[in-house]
Amino acid sequence: MIPFLEARGLTKAYGQLRANDDVSFSILPGEIVGIVGENGAGKSTLVKMLGGAIEPDSGSIYISGERVTMRSPADATKAGISLVHQHFKLIDSLTVEENLVLGRPELRHGILNFKALRSGFEGVAKDLGTSLQYDARVSTLSVGGRQQIELVRALFHEPRLLILDEPTAVLPPTERERLLCLIRRLKERGMAAILISHKLDDLYDCCDRAVVMRAGRVVGSSDLRSDDRGQLVRLIVGEELPPPEVRRGTRGAPLVSVRELVVRRDNGTVAVDRGSFDLHAGEIIGLCGVEGNGQTELMHALAGMRAIEAGEIVYALGKQTAVKCDAASLRQAGVAHIPEDRLHHAVVPSFTLTMNWFLRKLSERGLVSFGFLQRLSAAKATHEAIAINDVRASGPRARMSDLSGGNQQKFVIGRELGEGVSVILAGHPTRGLDIRTVAVIRNRLVAERARGVAILLLSADLSEVWDLADRVMVMARGKLRGPVPVGETSLAEIGHWMTTP
Amino acid sequence: MITTRVIRLGLIVGFAALVPAVFVLLAGQSPWRVLTTLVLYAFGPQGWSEVLVHAIPLTLIGLGVAFALRAGLFNIGGDGQFIAGTVVSVFFAPYFGGLGLVGLLAFLTCGFIGGAALGALVGYLRERFNASEIIVTIMLNYVAVQMVSYLIRGPMADPMPFWPRSYMIPPDCILPVLVPGTRLHAGLIVALAMVIVFAIIQHRTVFGFQSLVLGANPGAAIYAGFRVKALTVLVMAVSGGLGGLAGAVEVGGLYQRIVDNMGEGFGLAGIAVALIARLEPIAIPFAACLFGIFFAGGGALQRELALPFPLVWIVEATVIFAVAALHWALPDRKAAA
Repeated sequence: MIPFLEARGLTKAYGQLRANDDVSFSILPGEIVGIVGENGAGKSTLVKMLGGAIEPDSGSIYISGERVTMRSPADATKAGISLVHQHFKLIDSLTVEENLVLGRPELRHGILNFKALRSGFEGVAKDLGTSLQYDARVSTLSVGGRQQIELVRALFHEPRLLILDEPTAVLPPTERERLLCLIRRLKERGMAAILISHKLDDLYDCCDRAVVMRAGRVVGSSDLRSDDRGQLVRLIVGEELPPPEVRRGTRGAPLVSVRELVVRRDNGTVAVDRGSFDLHAGEIIGLCGVEGNGQTELMHALAGMRAIEAGEIVYALGKQTAVKCDAASLRQAGVAHIPEDRLHHAVVPSFTLTMNWFLRKLSERGLVSFGFLQRLSAAKATHEAIAINDVRASGPRARMSDLSGGNQQKFVIGRELGEGVSVILAGHPTRGLDIRTVAVIRNRLVAERARGVAILLLSADLSEVWDLADRVMVMARGKLRGPVPVGETSLAEIGHWMTTP
Repeated sequence: MITTRVIRLGLIVGFAALVPAVFVLLAGQSPWRVLTTLVLYAFGPQGWSEVLVHAIPLTLIGLGVAFALRAGLFNIGGDGQFIAGTVVSVFFAPYFGGLGLVGLLAFLTCGFIGGAALGALVGYLRERFNASEIIVTIMLNYVAVQMVSYLIRGPMADPMPFWPRSYMIPPDCILPVLVPGTRLHAGLIVALAMVIVFAIIQHRTVFGFQSLVLGANPGAAIYAGFRVKALTVLVMAVSGGLGGLAGAVEVGGLYQRIVDNMGEGFGLAGIAVALIARLEPIAIPFAACLFGIFFAGGGALQRELALPFPLVWIVEATVIFAVAALHWALPDRKAAA
């Protein structure tokens, strides 16, 4: 059979860095290929070349045996390739219909006949087994709803190859299942698909074959129906990963007691509605929920970053039983916080690493004396921390914004964790990171638990919660369910709780 | 990449040179003659000290504007804080007679407190009622102008009122002249001391660090547990305090009393100074000297070439535009540390 798409020797360099180096692979009609690799392995560059967003320096692309040159996304569309981006290209303030029309540049000229177009979109949506609320504003839709629009937009051209970039990263489990189902149905019709994903489960659930990239090169291909996971992971990271530590901790006394807690959002709506739970020493509680159901506000209230409206949070740390709930005192008392929004909270991107080290260390002896910053000691501490935590940076004087997301996160964790920490609040600590960094961070959390630290882990990744947590708790529309021991519940039940408040 | 930057830089410099040139032509003079007159005056035997005399208040106000702007706060109220500084310092000055150097320091401190009170009020209104500090500082400028106008005609008026002006301050509060035969006074030392103090505060102290974080990433300030509201009020107070200090220095060094319209236009020029110095304390005196040339030279142009003084403000506005466009031509500013 002639492959629908064949890439031969694609190379793209950015200065010294070869983002893609002699990349060759092919995909048959009706085949679903997963492309995996660590952050920076070159997946995005490859996708951009296949989508016509950038041109390769050398190498060529063949569609059904014919050589094509794609200079723009429109050329890729003509060749039968559609792309669904990881970060949706939608305009929040416009309606669904307006966004759909925007996605079709050739329809923008002259006068739009919305009615005629709508029947076209409706056909695609029906085909997808979904219906669209054409007049709803995009800002009111869930993440899954937004993805549906992107899908309709991509499928409108009746592509023969659909490229999905990290499509499940932001989806709750039920919507993820629906999406994978859809991809399988499209495959039956002979459409080929490329799935970029960090999650091996996605690949095993829906792909025929995985192409593994590392450092800009294709290092192997793995038949997902026969090969074992260990071998695939070895291909991705290049060596054996540190084994997951699954030792459960021994539960101690409650360190954090939350009673009837009410927290409001900035716009006045109730984010946390009378939530109560205890977090014990030596345990990890996984906090799950669909984004926007109050988890962020709960974490911020616990970390002293948001005022509480009613109820109480009691920390039992050291000799004290109640600590004044502001972020600086909590930090000093041993509450570490890894915020979910790295760039808006955890670091100051325009500062050097040393200055970022100060951010949460202003009450630390040796780093500050009489109100003066001891920059030399901080530089030394930063230097040691980036070595210990394997932060890839040119040194303490490097600018934070020059680091990759994974290295920024390792820096934050290196700064937050350590001696004297007895509670960790971790907001999506592994989101968007490559498989090796994820493993390092998870093992670190497990090791902290073994030391008797109490950990609240907010995660959108249920398998992560299952691997790490002792108990799990769900938030839906501000209401807390649980915590229940992980052994006494099931993924299905948690998924049900997440979607039905 | 490099060539586009050079071209852009050329366009900006060209714009900054061309716009004033056009207005000089409209005023019926040769731009070249204006430039040579300005330069010869500024580096001439009388001019150099006058340039420095004008640079003193501009340095202090510029430092204040830069300190607030680094913390993400736009203090447009330099004029009002300058006036508040003159009023408070002159109000208390009679009590400092006969105290020598202590009296002088107390006098200057009063100026700082006057400006700081006005700045703190702005910070408080912002944190308590979410009032824009830009609007509030501008409005307070008018309030301050009217207030001082009343005071020097009424309660604080000169006992022998020929002109609207206040009574004189005691001799202890006067900043001595540094170079005989010029007006250059010890305010120069005060201004340079403040530059050093603020360079240290900005880069070496917890307070300076917290204000930098507040400006660069307010979310990180909350995460780090800074008391953001108190910090905002404090930054505005310090920023206003420098404006007030400029007022006291101007009284102590030049006029020995409050006169009508003193320090007019310094507030806006202080913003331009801060922007040209790219908010870096050490660079501010140099930027202030540039504007000192415009201010001192503006008078010379008026006398020698019969050019209207507002030309200086046109130059000032052009410079602000040019500096605002600089980021378009230059690579990003280095990390704040």
